[in-house]
Parts: sequence; C-alpha cells; structure tokens
Amino acid sequence: MCIRKQFFNQIRGYAVKRKYPVNPEDAKKLPVFGYGISKASYNRIFVWGCRETGALAVPQKKEEEKFHKISPIKYPKRLFFAENHEVTNVACGFGFSIFSVNPNNDNSRLYGTGINSDSQIGYHAIRENKPLEIIFSPVAIHLPLKEKKTRINKIAAGRAHTLVLTSEGLFTFGNNAYGQCGRMIITDEDYSNSHYVHKISNVDDTIKDVECGQDHSLILTESGQVYSCGWGADGQTGLGHFNSESRFTRVLGDIANENIVKVSGRSDFVLAINDKGEVFGWGNTEYAQLDTPNDLQQVCNATFIEKCKGLGKIVDIAAGGSFCLILNEDGQVFSWGYGLLGAGPKVQYSKKPVLLPEILFGKNEFQTDSKVIKIKAGIGHAAAISNYGNLYMWGRNRSGCLGMGHDKDQPFPFRVSVSGLVKDVSCGFDHSIALCKPFI
Amino acid sequence: MGYLELTLAILKPNVAVNPVAIKFVKNLIITSNFKIVRSKRQKCKIKELQLFYEEHKDKFFYNRLITFMSSGPSELFILAKENAIQDWRKLLGPTKVYRTQFEEPNSLRGLFGQSDTRNAFHGSDSKESAEREMSIFFPEFNISDWFVSEEQFFVNGEIKFQEDKFIHVIQHT
Repeated sequence: MCIRKQFFNQIRGYAVKRKYPVNPEDAKKLPVFGYGISKASYNRIFVWGCRETGALAVPQKKEEEKFHKISPIKYPKRLFFAENHEVTNVACGFGFSIFSVNPNNDNSRLYGTGINSDSQIGYHAIRENKPLEIIFSPVAIHLPLKEKKTRINKIAAGRAHTLVLTSEGLFTFGNNAYGQCGRMIITDEDYSNSHYVHKISNVDDTIKDVECGQDHSLILTESGQVYSCGWGADGQTGLGHFNSESRFTRVLGDIANENIVKVSGRSDFVLAINDKGEVFGWGNTEYAQLDTPNDLQQVCNATFIEKCKGLGKIVDIAAGGSFCLILNEDGQVFSWGYGLLGAGPKVQYSKKPVLLPEILFGKNEFQTDSKVIKIKAGIGHAAAISNYGNLYMWGRNRSGCLGMGHDKDQPFPFRVSVSGLVKDVSCGFDHSIALCKPFI
Repeated sequence: MGYLELTLAILKPNVAVNPVAIKFVKNLIITSNFKIVRSKRQKCKIKELQLFYEEHKDKFFYNRLITFMSSGPSELFILAKENAIQDWRKLLGPTKVYRTQFEEPNSLRGLFGQSDTRNAFHGSDSKESAEREMSIFFPEFNISDWFVSEEQFFVNGEIKFQEDKFIHVIQHT
C-alpha cells in the first residue's frame, strides 16, 4: 500500500499544473515537438531467403557455423547496413547482392555481399592470391571512376556477373565465360582472382537501363534501342544466331523500328515492350513463352507476341525462368508459361495469358483504387507491388524466399508483411530484397 | 562377381562455383554411404564433351549443352556403392529443373538446378554408359583392374577417407 502511494505521488509530481502560466508570446518561440519525418533520400531495406550464401548480409552466430545450421530467414528482416548508408538501388544475383549508396562519409558508392566465386562483387582477398569465396557483410566494391560527383543510376546482377550504370558510363565485372561482360572471352581465365572492371565504350547512345539474364546482359538506350551480349545458345541475345557474343550488339528483328521502353529477362527468355504497349520476346520458349511454328524451342530474333494483343496497353513486364508476366494500364496482371502462375492451386501449363484475380492484389470494397504498379520475376517465383506500397509474392518458395514465414510453395499471390511502403523488389535465385520507404 | 557398382557423378559448372552447394553435396555423398574412388576438379575440354554427349548430337540443345559444360570448372567423381547408378540418380531427381522444382523439390536438382540446361548434376544412366563416360574423363582409370585388385578393400571397409582430397584410399595394414 505504502509503495503504491509513493508511486502515485511520484507520478503526480510530474503532472502538476503550472503555477505561473507561460506567457503566450514566449510560448510561440518554444520548439514544437512532432514525429521525426525521415529524410527523402532514406530507404529502408528488408532481406529474406537463404542466409548460407551471405547474400542477406545478416551476421551469423558462432554456434551456427559450428553445427552447419545456418537457417534461412523466412520473414522480411530489416537490414542494418541500410541504416548507416543511404541505399539507393538493390540488385539480387544468384547467391549475392549488390547495393548502391549515396556517398556521404566515404567515397564508396557500391557495396556487395555473398558468393564471390567469379569476382562478381569485386576482388577481396585476405592476402595475395587467396581470394575470398564467400563474404558475409557488405564490402565496398572499387570502381575506376574519374570524378567524385559520379552517381550510380542502375545496377543489375546475373548468375555470376554484375552491371553498374553510372553517369560516367557502364561498368561490368564478374564471370565472362560467354562474353556477358561485353569484353573478349579469354579461354581459361581465372575469374576468382580477377581485379578487372570493364568499361563499355562501344555503345554510342546514352544508356537508360540495364538488365541481366542468367548469363547474358541487356542494355536499353534513351532512343529505345536494345543492345545485348553474352550466352546465345537459346537465342536469348536476340542477335539472329546461337553463338556467344562478346560485344554489345544491337538487337534488331521486329523491334528494329520500335521505341522500346523496358526489357526484362531473369533467365533465358527476354520480354520487351515499346511505348505503344506492345510486347516482344526472344530466347528459350520450351514452355510456350512464344507461339512458334513446328514447336520451335529457341527463337533468336525479336518476335512480336501475338497473344498479348487485346489485353490493354502493357506497361510492365517480367520474364521468369519458365513463365512470363505482363501488367496493363488498369493494373491487371496476366501470366503464362509453366509453373505456379498465380491463378490456381496447382502447377499450371498455359499457352494463353491467364488473368490473375485483382482481389488477390488488394482490390476490394475498402480499397477500390488499389492496383498493381510493378511486377518482378525470379526463376520460379514472382512479385507484384501495388500503389499502396504492398508487396505480393507467389511461386516456388526456395529457402523461404517468398517471405511468408514458412517454406511451402505459394500457389496464388499473397501479401508479404513488410513494415514499410515497398517501392522496389529484387528477386534472386533463393533470396529477395525489398527497398521501402518508411511510413512517415 | 562384383558387389559394387561404379558410376560417374559430375557437378556441372553452375554448382561447382557455389561453395555452399559443394559443401552440401559432398556431405550428402558421404552420408548416403557412397565411396569416392576418384575425384578431380577440371574444366572439361570440348573434345571430351563431344564424345560424352554423342547421343544428343542431333538434338536442339546439343550446342547449349556443350557451351555450358565448357564454360567453367566442373567437379568429377567416380562413386562406388551397391546399386550406385540407381541411388545416385535417385538423389538427383528428374532432368528438367523447371518441372523438378515442383515435382521433387528436395532432390538435388530441385534444390540447386537453375534452368533446364543448368541442371547442376550428371549421373550415368546404365552400367555400359558409366564405363564409357569414365573412360572419357578418367582415361588413366582401368575399370576391370579396379574390380580385380581394389574392390575387395572397399567391400571389406579397409579404406580411409581423406577429407582434403575428398577421396577414399585403401588402408594397408
């Protein structure tokens, strides 16, 4: 009783009325306290998926290393690295991640973490000729930049190579076994010990966007031209032949006179859209990504996709391993190909585009204006972002890369609980990274 | 009469560069009671691969198979076990990765395969093809000699595992 009385007395001590009211003129000068509003340049990063490769940059405990029990992270986890650095772009490769940051204190603009077997996150060695195969926390990647003001605009990561688009030009590094770095193929080159960062100089136009397939690279220029290089055994370079190409060469075919605004290709099939909203594709079509005569399974020329006609103006595209996704102006998502397409409980094989129910993307009585604004694809899974900043994912749940909290496959789009407004997401082989804005 | 069967196992270039996958697979080989007779890491030559994939010569994926397999170093093992060929193929799962990842998600290809070509592993499909494939990649390895002079040690368990070289060697007493 006595203690309770004391406690209330203490509280009362804080809550006493002012004996002398504040002069209203002085009160105006007093600072007003409010919630801290985050900086416009601040991005919150969430990571989830396979942790063993180091691609999540989540530190591990010592006992986990000892017993080989590095469990995956099945829920989105906030990345501490992004609280110290202003991350502007993220890219997931196959077992590694690349972050570009605003240079504040140090000069590094690019960081990488994860598997480094082909120097895809730069050269890092404990001593000479002992390169590190796996890196568990983000390390600075050195780029041979001339000026201090140079900014990184876009980054993309493939199976084992990285493309970095800066205001100075395009830089490539990592595996070049098929010429995917846009430089000459050297037989028996040792990629694990490579310091070399290549600067692309043979593209005259200004580069707007970069995209990496598994073993090929695509770039998009301001005037709507597409250039590609790398592995062409499935025709994924779209250059009219099935050989590897080691120089960025312009893709012609049906897109020769079109103004292309976006290209996408996570694996061996590439989708492209022009400013009118028409869809083109090339590459591996073993799962009916393209309708070909005589069941031809490799297409090496850019081809107009007839079956996307009449689905409205297409504004976004995503090509996964064995399926394709398109998004039209009204926010409707269509998918076709093989896999968990998102429309039903079973693994599907559909040659025609299937409409995914809009209600699964949060369009209901309470949010009638909710619509999808961005789509992304991984090898067997896909993601969609709505205008409310919600993230929806579905497909193969490799190492918990869907962020659902379990490791079962997800047959239809389901919201991922991320505490932030999702602006961008990057899907790797077995991990995902979301770039979010805080709520306030 | 031989008790053991030999098979050729290959870790293709896309997993042979992934240290996490290599660790997992090597662990699985040991825990599934396979004995490693020979093991090496090398970049396959195009001539070897043309012999190796002779049966697929007219298929549409022949070119991409060869260019993929010659793109980087692979890990090659000769594994010995009773019924080795079947057991190793069972661990791998079906060839087509995009289907396997849903049908048998916990097989090795379902876990580490990245596309139908980059299906991560190879296993011989019969005794004859195992012999043919071993003679291509391990020309110095004489199969009939091995069955005559070394098999008994493997059957009786008079062998020692060398972890650094990832191979079982005969323990002479």
